[in-house]
Amino acid sequence: MPTVADIARKLGAVLDTYVPERTEPDLLVPANDYFELAGEEFGRRLMLTTGVDGHNYCLRPDFTLPVAQGFLRNGSGGAASFGYWGKVFRQRSDGPAEFTQMGLELLGHADADDALDKVLRFVVDSLEAAELTDLTLTFGSVALFEALLRGADIPEVWVPRLRHRFGNPVALDALLLRLGSAPAPQEAGAIPDRTQLIAEITEQMLTDGLSLTEGRTPAEIADRFIEKRELEAARVPHDTLGLLKAFLSISGGFEHAVAEAARLCAEHDIDVAAPIDTLRRHAARLTDFAPNIALSFAAGFAPRLHYYTGLVFEVRGQGTDVLASGGQYDRLLSALGADREIPASGAAIWVERIGEAANV
Amino acid sequence: MSELVLAVPSKGRLEEQARAVFEKAGLMITRPGGARAYQGELRGLDGVTVRFLSAGEIARELTRGNLHVGVTGADLIHEVSEAAPNQVIFAKPLGFGEADVVIAVPDAWRDVTHMDDLSDVGADFGAHKTRWLRVATKYVNLTRAFFSRHGIAEYRIVESLGATEAAPANGSADLIVDITTTGNTLKANGLRVLEDGLILKSQANLIVSRKAAWSPAARQSMNALLQAFGVAHFDLTA
Repeated sequence: MPTVADIARKLGAVLDTYVPERTEPDLLVPANDYFELAGEEFGRRLMLTTGVDGHNYCLRPDFTLPVAQGFLRNGSGGAASFGYWGKVFRQRSDGPAEFTQMGLELLGHADADDALDKVLRFVVDSLEAAELTDLTLTFGSVALFEALLRGADIPEVWVPRLRHRFGNPVALDALLLRLGSAPAPQEAGAIPDRTQLIAEITEQMLTDGLSLTEGRTPAEIADRFIEKRELEAARVPHDTLGLLKAFLSISGGFEHAVAEAARLCAEHDIDVAAPIDTLRRHAARLTDFAPNIALSFAAGFAPRLHYYTGLVFEVRGQGTDVLASGGQYDRLLSALGADREIPASGAAIWVERIGEAANV
Repeated sequence: MSELVLAVPSKGRLEEQARAVFEKAGLMITRPGGARAYQGELRGLDGVTVRFLSAGEIARELTRGNLHVGVTGADLIHEVSEAAPNQVIFAKPLGFGEADVVIAVPDAWRDVTHMDDLSDVGADFGAHKTRWLRVATKYVNLTRAFFSRHGIAEYRIVESLGATEAAPANGSADLIVDITTTGNTLKANGLRVLEDGLILKSQANLIVSRKAAWSPAARQSMNALLQAFGVAHFDLTA
């Protein structure tokens, strides 16, 4: 049986073939960056500490953010490849925990397709170096879901709200349920005059000492109030709700599941040719490269971080936790201050889990 | 700890009310050194040391196992840590110190009456603004758990240790999670509780620590104390 050290050495050798040098971001990083990027839900999993200056710091919970920040600090003009290996720290329900992560991040590469293929090959090479078998790689596609939302018959206001819940099945199911139920009786009634309503809300906000510009503005409040009243008019059609539910439930062997998604969208006259082609192209190249890895597709699968775009994936063994995951995240660098979207692909590999899986 | 350590609030209404419920149970809390003493006795039950601590400290020390049993608000236990409620047993609600932990939004937000609305508003912030929806509170754990239960991920907590109700007006947050008894303070600050915004109905409880060292003597005193309060004894190791 291979020891964990053996496997770590083999994994490290794979990483070396993809990038000559490893990047080593700080262990202690400003916590605010993570909260700003990912919100409270992710922030609760940080290992926090407070400096004497009163600022919050955390032990790094991942490499992607510090790597991307380092890339931007050095000027984001060209393309760069980063390999990393080290500890990450997270709160879990049973207490604080540390893990070893190895990963590859390709930032600013003009050929985004090629970058993603390289990331996928890196993951496969790593898992094969650990001599793991019975692996399944599951693809998800943020691009496909976004194309579906663009093409489906959905009032504009619901598009970002649905998109934001993608990857969060609890929230998404709750929203679909809500959209499908009859409006509450108090929502019915005459639709108030917008100008009048804005004036009333403005007056109330001023009386209560609220800023008219800092948070929600009187116009935003009025518009959403009217939108709730108009729910019948701004309603997501039943047909669309059915489509969304059917789409999100698609999951299974790659060929079959992707064909099913394509068929469903075609049935509703929604053009998803581009994201479907992209999925098939990457899957075909991956199969050529690694014929032994089973591929599957889950239409509702996405990380719960809004900066992911394009394709995403994760790999599991038989009954194991996620061994590796990654994808495209073209919105990360712009969220961190870059003046445009910069193509980015990457993957992280959970070293200890691979050690465990290799010794089952 | 060879004997049972019981903690009760050290001052104010809470101390008086705690004293009263113990008296009703036939047990008299004495404070031989006067109001400034931090150690007392329980007349009517042997082997019990009484400590006078702030309600927040009682919650913290119960979860750490430095106290066997104490009187404090259920809300304060939740605020020690995410796992704290599992480290204690809420043995008996005592009928005082009632306070509701609630979510309140500016009353001017006419469109927001339920958590579902807040969920949409959170997503709208993500889509149209450069910052998150901000929630001021000192109840960080309760807030996170409640928002998570409602599938809301798009928000940030701004920790507030006093005058939380003023946060929306002074611009440090958009809405708040706070305790309320009558709702008057919220109303005076132009805030309104969401219709499904009750996070926790809290009151003072007799709370037993799972983490304390339970010697046979401490266990015996504990069961006698529970009996005085009309609570069946239970397995502290469970």
